Amino acid sequence: MKEKLPLDILNSLTSGVIAVDAENRVVFVNRAMARRLNVQPTDWEGRHAAELLGQITTHMAAAQDEMTFRLGWAREPKAKLSQEIEWRTGSETLHLREDSAPLRDAAGNVAGRLFLYHDISREKSIDRMKSEFIAVASHELRTPMTSIKGSVDLILSGFAGEITADSQELLEIAQKSCDRLVRLINDILDLAKIEAGQVKLHLVPMDLTDIVEHAIRGVRSLADQGEVVLHVERADGLPHVDVDKDRIEQVVTNLLSNAIKFAPAKSIVTVDLRAEEGWVQCSVIDRGVGIAEADLPKVFGKFQQVGAKKKGGTGLGLAITQALIAEHHGRIWVESQLGQGTSFIFRLPALPK
Amino acid sequence: MSILKVLLAEDDPDIQKVVRMSLKMKGVKEVVVTDNGEECLARLSDFAPDVILLDVMMPKLDGYGTCRKLKENPATREIPVIFLTAKAQHYEVKQGMDVGALGYLIKPFDPMTLYDQISELLANRNKGT
Repeated sequence: MKEKLPLDILNSLTSGVIAVDAENRVVFVNRAMARRLNVQPTDWEGRHAAELLGQITTHMAAAQDEMTFRLGWAREPKAKLSQEIEWRTGSETLHLREDSAPLRDAAGNVAGRLFLYHDISREKSIDRMKSEFIAVASHELRTPMTSIKGSVDLILSGFAGEITADSQELLEIAQKSCDRLVRLINDILDLAKIEAGQVKLHLVPMDLTDIVEHAIRGVRSLADQGEVVLHVERADGLPHVDVDKDRIEQVVTNLLSNAIKFAPAKSIVTVDLRAEEGWVQCSVIDRGVGIAEADLPKVFGKFQQVGAKKKGGTGLGLAITQALIAEHHGRIWVESQLGQGTSFIFRLPALPK
Repeated sequence: MSILKVLLAEDDPDIQKVVRMSLKMKGVKEVVVTDNGEECLARLSDFAPDVILLDVMMPKLDGYGTCRKLKENPATREIPVIFLTAKAQHYEVKQGMDVGALGYLIKPFDPMTLYDQISELLANRNKGT
């Protein structure tokens, strides 16, 4: 099998490569990996892979479990596996991504496995810096906002004495702007966290209908204010989806709030739930003014104001929505016709019944 | 149960004033303000609050350290501690709850409902929920 590998190419790679045969014996270590392991490329040929892979997990907690997982391909030889590992060599800690995939012989049978090691230490370091920035920015912005919002709210409550009608009007403007700024800070930080991959989803199998109904309860008063009727259409036998309930409710709430804001009074906003070829699809449909075709590609952008009238959002809601759907391995898109209305449609992978 | 005495550890003088006013407005009789965790712990020798409100980022001794010390000391262990902080990351909230806090309120808070939020946390504690 070794002869069949394009050795020059593999030895030119800066990423590490290890190939093992069906009995988990090492058949090849490329130059980059040998340098990292401080061995000669041929030193390991014929030895058991667990010994070599074990070196890369030295000092790792639960190294034995890791090994079982990594060599578990023998039970599922076609599986492609990917994981991040920490490799401590002396005082240095490297962050590596280990990808492994089956190696096949001429007849297409699985004859071994190829392990690729990419150094992602720099990406990890940038991620850490991003996290630190998010934490510091969050704290530093929230602290002065607390004093401003607190003071304005207290004055408006009358606690500090009577105020004139003009003062009240001006303070209410300040209060509204404070609240908007707080929402903006929250949205910016939320989006930054999602984009930095720092949001951990707590996935549970659920019927999307339950989430939609909960979201509808949350926006009911907004709909009543705008005299908009909310209506749910649900196909029978809807499969479950693996979702973080709070995050998908955030998505549905955002789409519903937008639809309500742009829907004319006395009109209907419909939520349509159906199964579509391996997906569960949710459409939020309004009969509002619609979005011009030229503006459609912009709607999921940050701080994009599509349409003539400002409707009081932070300009980040749809960007967050799109990022959350992507985190769930789903898809979201928009369909609209001017004067007819707009549909925001998202799909999540359906779980087998 | 009505809250009559509050001990606050907060290093920002403006936020100290806002917290004090918002609690006084709702009938709290005494709000003792300290600038950091060390002062907060020292103040407990002659002041027995119904609840302690702790900022996290403070000089000398931060909020997490203060809460840990409060929970280690049998004399102060039972005083409910609530964080009132701008540290809003998920892991920061968890850290606060892990050191034994009763609740974690995030800035900016609403001064009109701060008392009610504290009161609710205390009521839940008394109900054992």
